[in-house]
Amino acid sequence: MTERGFLFDRVVEILKEPVAIDPALDRRVIKGILAGPSPRAAPPAVVGWLTRRRTVSVSPLGGLALAAGIAGLALLGRSALQLAEPSTAPRTATVAASTEPAPSVVQFVIVAPSAATVSLVGDFNDWNVSATPMRPAPGDGIWSVTVPLEPGRYRYAFLVDGQTWLADPSAPRAFDDDFGPPNSVLTVRGS
Amino acid sequence: MLRSIIVLMCLAAVGPHWATAQEPRLVGRLTAETRVQVDAMLDSARARALPIEPLVDRALEGASKRASGERIVAAVRRLTDELQVARDALGSRSTPSEITAGASALRAGATGDDLAQLRRLRTDRSLTIAAAVLADLVAVGVPADTAVAAVLALAEFALDTEYLALRENVERDVALGASPVSALGVRVEAAAPQGDFGAGTQRPPARKP
Repeated sequence: MTERGFLFDRVVEILKEPVAIDPALDRRVIKGILAGPSPRAAPPAVVGWLTRRRTVSVSPLGGLALAAGIAGLALLGRSALQLAEPSTAPRTATVAASTEPAPSVVQFVIVAPSAATVSLVGDFNDWNVSATPMRPAPGDGIWSVTVPLEPGRYRYAFLVDGQTWLADPSAPRAFDDDFGPPNSVLTVRGS
Repeated sequence: MLRSIIVLMCLAAVGPHWATAQEPRLVGRLTAETRVQVDAMLDSARARALPIEPLVDRALEGASKRASGERIVAAVRRLTDELQVARDALGSRSTPSEITAGASALRAGATGDDLAQLRRLRTDRSLTIAAAVLADLVAVGVPADTAVAAVLALAEFALDTEYLALRENVERDVALGASPVSALGVRVEAAAPQGDFGAGTQRPPARKP
């Protein structure tokens, strides 16, 4: 037996040994529960000062000035937020973040046994030929990639060996092939 | 002096709007000359409340496919015109996705009147899927007028999921050897209460959702 195996067996033996528990433990635990929660420490003085009720008297003119000040601060904050926004709106700018449907994961597959490289190119990656390379399954010439897509309608094509554009044979053809090589179209349902 | 300061402040305020806005995604993808023309078309489209995204995508597609600048500009211009026709037909309250799908339907052979009728039949529902399915049906070989008739026949009651199921069923039937027209006829007969696509049978009145 190796030294490592011996140590392992020894650890197992130790773990198997019964654990002795103090018989008075149960009694102490029950007593503690019956005694109720321990008294909280007194809050710091500053908390008491902040939470103390007080009456504030404001004159009508003072109230008006205070309201104007709050409105001015709100407008200032809004302007700052608008300035901080990027110049180009995101694609789903009209959809609030809380109501955005979750993207669907879509698998694209094409059979190209003699290809050295295949890329998925379309509306979803700004037609960038290097953004979404596809991976070959060993031996059978099947290339695939999965892409998360928001609900919508997308035009796309496969680029084989960096020069041959192919439509997806398993998807409808797009009609708007303004540049010659055909495209396919995919409609991703909303949830 | 004061007048000069006021004029300068006014110029500073409106100055950025004088120049044509530049779409950052086109930088480095199009030649400077093509980009200027496309940016001008994007500005014009923005001013008419047309969706910009499909136009940018079309220009980027042309760049990836190494199309000439002239061809890219022509493609963006053509799509702009289609988006305008779709928006006019669908109404000013239509969403960008509805307008984009409407433009696809126009390219597939539908007319502005067809889209307007679709809007009338589906007043309170999105037209995106219906218009997209119309284009997809034409893509699998259904004649445009037949596809339009089928989509309009279902317009009053069909859910988006039913439109998508119709398209998937027709695609499957065609892949198995059925003719596109007969596949669509059978599927619409099954789905539409009042569908009459060759069998000549009238069904009970349409159910309302």
